[in-house]
Amino acid sequence: MKSSLAERAILYALVAIILMVFVFPYGFLVSTSIKPPVDALAIPPTLLPQRISFDNYTIIGDFPVVQRSFGNSTIIALLSTVISIGLAIPAAYAIARFATWAGKLFLIAALVTRLIPPVSVGIPLFAIMRSLGLIDTHLGVALAHSTISVPLAIWLLASFMESIPRALEEAARVDGCSRFGALFRIIIPVAAGGIAVTAIFVFLASWNEFLFSLLLSSTGVKTAPIAIAEFKSQYGIQWGTMTSLSVLYSFPVIIFSLLMQKRILAGMTMGAVKG
Amino acid sequence: MKSLGFMFAVLVLFLLPLTASGQDSTTLTVLVEQGGLWLQEAAAKQFEEETGHTVEFVNVPYGSVFDRLSAEMATGGAAFDVATIDVVWMSHFAPFAEPLDDLFTDEVTDDLFASLVADAQIDGTFIGMPTWANTEIIFYRKDLWEDPDEQAAFEAEFGYPLTPPATWQEFTDMAMFFTRDNDGDGEIDMYGTDVKGGVADFEWMIAVLQAGSPGVVLDADHNIIIDNAEHVAGLEYYISHHCDMDVAPPNVNEIDWGVAENLFYQSQTAMFRFWGHAYRLTRGDSPIADLVGAAPMIAGPGGVGAIPGPWFNIVPKTSENKELALELVQYLYDNNAMGIEAPLGLAARKSAYASYADVEGYENLNPLLETLDSPQTIGRPAVADWQQIADEILGPIGSDALTCEQDPAELLAWGRQELEAMGYE
Repeated sequence: MKSSLAERAILYALVAIILMVFVFPYGFLVSTSIKPPVDALAIPPTLLPQRISFDNYTIIGDFPVVQRSFGNSTIIALLSTVISIGLAIPAAYAIARFATWAGKLFLIAALVTRLIPPVSVGIPLFAIMRSLGLIDTHLGVALAHSTISVPLAIWLLASFMESIPRALEEAARVDGCSRFGALFRIIIPVAAGGIAVTAIFVFLASWNEFLFSLLLSSTGVKTAPIAIAEFKSQYGIQWGTMTSLSVLYSFPVIIFSLLMQKRILAGMTMGAVKG
Repeated sequence: MKSLGFMFAVLVLFLLPLTASGQDSTTLTVLVEQGGLWLQEAAAKQFEEETGHTVEFVNVPYGSVFDRLSAEMATGGAAFDVATIDVVWMSHFAPFAEPLDDLFTDEVTDDLFASLVADAQIDGTFIGMPTWANTEIIFYRKDLWEDPDEQAAFEAEFGYPLTPPATWQEFTDMAMFFTRDNDGDGEIDMYGTDVKGGVADFEWMIAVLQAGSPGVVLDADHNIIIDNAEHVAGLEYYISHHCDMDVAPPNVNEIDWGVAENLFYQSQTAMFRFWGHAYRLTRGDSPIADLVGAAPMIAGPGGVGAIPGPWFNIVPKTSENKELALELVQYLYDNNAMGIEAPLGLAARKSAYASYADVEGYENLNPLLETLDSPQTIGRPAVADWQQIADEILGPIGSDALTCEQDPAELLAWGRQELEAMGYE
């Protein structure tokens, strides 16, 4: 019993330390956002606000561009998620089910694209989008974000789909389902947890992306990360406003992740054991 | 049939004005960062009202101005009709910029600071119209400098009156005088000034100009002068407040412009050298909000000197509205003074600064005017690899010198070798 208590204490201590590493930066962000501007960069810095002020939040009302940018980020992230998942599901299914050498090569090639620094493809992508007339459009930015997300989505989904027993699909085929029918009626519902996890990762990748959004947007579809970064000008950084906007920008993702917590955990363990 | 014809005629009459106004009105797209937006927004609005055209600002973060315009340049894009760019990018974008020689009449050049006229040209061609110019001046605590007790104590110690510092020696004396342990706990509560090691690639060169150097790093013909006597003297002066006198917070490498500004506005330094715009942006909740004084930059043996930080409007060669873009650039120059009422309170024309210099709340403008107009206020060399020089040579020299263990002359000799390796002579 004693050793069990000791083990638990050590475990909780470790969890507390790990939690601290993750929570501290965010806590400091929130704390800075409710400090008066002059205290935001106090020297030495203070962890907790000496005075609480919501000026950094109320001032956001003065920046309609920033408000619009939150809407743009939402539209683009949703669009990118739909495109990426829509493309990745059939690709992952084919790779998982047919298990050909070409499929394996494709999977590796998809991974290799993740190794290319986005900055190196920024200008070619810009030229392509310009020739397609997609500069400063939601679709243009969402497509660019999908180029980052599709390889990751294929990898994740292929792993989830491999874990689904073939017998399930074969039974559907015996009952008269076509291959597409089996995909839509059997595989996708069974892999829903994995698809949800993948969709969250894809959504987050688009939600936080900076470089492509910068290159491909002007005033029409400016995303929130760009709008927030504008508070860093040549003559200084408006930490208060940047932190308050960052807190607000992180809220939807945090709330969504908390709501989806069980599904995410289920999905993350889904591909761990092959059927 | 008749009624159809009548309806068609009515439709044409109705649509004609719409079509005509569509042809006459053009939207000009201007790439800016926050400062460019603030300083040019009012004049652009007036331009819209007077001409019926539309000016659309694309506001991006500071470094992203370079990235966006580089993408346009690389792909021959025509997204922007005008771009407001930092002086350090002028050489890079010169091949992409429309010549503006016709705009630079004698009247225009006479009303611009000499350093701006020099910076506006690349290889003898004007490519950018200055839109504002900033530079570092002296900020000090008026409550300290105007306190009779402080004045008496200072004069007793140093033998001359306490006025805002005008020379290297005065700056040093005052930095020593105001470095204090107010509560006697052995810890210094207020330093005389700061040493900004976080921006070591820029800050020490100001002292080089004050020492009398004809330029920083390279001369007008782009020959290496980084190891001349003035560079050595400037670097020695820059580090002296940290290495020899302890009149600045010791964590020099952590002090960049933002931190230095906060130290001053939290009354942890008595005076500092900083960009002139800050006077207008003094925070209302700062303990010294109403106590800030401004003075021209200090003079070394070569006189008052500083490095200007101007921004220029360029017209990309790919603009599809070049004529109108040039018209806008001219208009923004003509109405340059309107920017002074914007939050940064900056302009490029001498007459613009002079028109507000005696207005209450703009006490920083006379010091700015005097500093910008000084012969030793000289811009950085217009070379395309300036950023590389700053990052790989000037920054390390400044940082190494601030360790107080390396000889400035030896560091500058190393700088010459590095510049030679880059192809300079």
